[in-house]
Amino acid sequence: MIEFLSKKLDWIDVEYWFYILNDLSLVYIIVPFFILELVRYAYLKKLNKNLILDSVANLITFGAFFLIEIILGLLAITKAYFWIYNNISLPHLELNWITIITCILLADFAYYWEHRMMHRIGIGWATHTVHHSSPHFNMSVAYRFGPLDAIMPILFSLPIVMLGYDPILVLLSEVFVQVFQTLLHTEIIGKLIKPVEYIFNTPSHHRVHHGSNRQYWDKNYAGILIIWDRMFSTFEPEVEKVRYGISEPLNSNNPIKVFFHGISRLIRKLKKVNGFKNKLLVFIKPPDWMPTNK
Amino acid sequence: MKDSTLLFRSLATIVFIVGIAHLASYASQKDDINYNYQESIDSNQKSVFPEDGKSKSNNNPETDYIIGKWKVNYNIEDFNGSVFYNIKKEGKYFNAYTYQYQDKNGNTEKAEGLKTLIIKSFDGYQGKGVYTIEYEQQQYQVDCQIDMVDENTFKLSYDYYGYSDVESWKRQ
Repeated sequence: MIEFLSKKLDWIDVEYWFYILNDLSLVYIIVPFFILELVRYAYLKKLNKNLILDSVANLITFGAFFLIEIILGLLAITKAYFWIYNNISLPHLELNWITIITCILLADFAYYWEHRMMHRIGIGWATHTVHHSSPHFNMSVAYRFGPLDAIMPILFSLPIVMLGYDPILVLLSEVFVQVFQTLLHTEIIGKLIKPVEYIFNTPSHHRVHHGSNRQYWDKNYAGILIIWDRMFSTFEPEVEKVRYGISEPLNSNNPIKVFFHGISRLIRKLKKVNGFKNKLLVFIKPPDWMPTNK
Repeated sequence: MKDSTLLFRSLATIVFIVGIAHLASYASQKDDINYNYQESIDSNQKSVFPEDGKSKSNNNPETDYIIGKWKVNYNIEDFNGSVFYNIKKEGKYFNAYTYQYQDKNGNTEKAEGLKTLIIKSFDGYQGKGVYTIEYEQQQYQVDCQIDMVDENTFKLSYDYYGYSDVESWKRQ
């Protein structure tokens, strides 16, 4: 077993597997599942104009996010990653199953902390609120991104490169975590068997994460493994029926409004707050923070 | 939960996961170094005792009969003719090197001596190894299977994402 796990692998094979799991998942699972969700909405007589426009807005925000991601990726990320990998990293790891599995685990762990930060600091929530602002919960919501959503993960994946992991493997692992996360955005699947619900993030756990019910706020940040939430006391099971959305609803399907509402709310808050230090703290303190002397 | 607890739990998780990866990588590289060292000893012995051809302790008549010169006929888009290989025993493996090309008209040309096949395991009847194939000027290392038909012929087969072939290797 150990011999198998530590056997050297060819990059061409690894990229091929990730191509099937990451890139092609859109074709063989995400789109068919979304169609199934639309059929279900129609059957339940919930397929209305608001839901369609919401889904369209989700896809448009994804387009904008993707454009930013490509520009960042081409201009900076890959170069920064490779510079760090070649200059300030631990000895480079061989490409084998153990390296791949541990890289995915680390990418998942990094995702947990990055996601937690997006919820718990002002600038993080200003961009991530876009993802949570939909009052619906389906696969298209997984593609609802904010303008800075591509930047935050860099801070958390660079340390993985410093630990000796190939930058391309790190990027592929991050996408893999993201694809797994996408599949959790559904109301079709109820609770799964207990061992699965205990170890893995599931649609049930992720519904809780999208809940605006008070007890569901800032819970279940996990990507693939829910054990991170259990370890760091942010786990909450799905008990009460989930009400999706944010505490201060957006009430708009205008893609531009959807994409920038978090940033514009942050700017409004900055205008209200007095003093340079307090303005700076707005960026790094929790989203509901206000200076006491105001 | 206290911030210090969050920090220590996080660090412990990272150290545990990364530790496993580096230990495995280190152990695997150490095996490679040991193997290469053994290989270099074998090659030194050959140069010191050229008459022996190979180290006596390494001899195994049940498998070593595969050593020698072999011919494979190809009739593909890029090449219609034969390639001649020399199979040598090097360390634990049998390696096949190209030494001559022959086109369909019988014209011959010396080959570059490329290591094209590595037979990693062989019991005298069947074996497994890595074969180098070329597709659209790109080389790929693919897993292959060796099956002896008789002592002068073996079949080399591979299947690489649906691109499969069976070659017949004839002793020269």
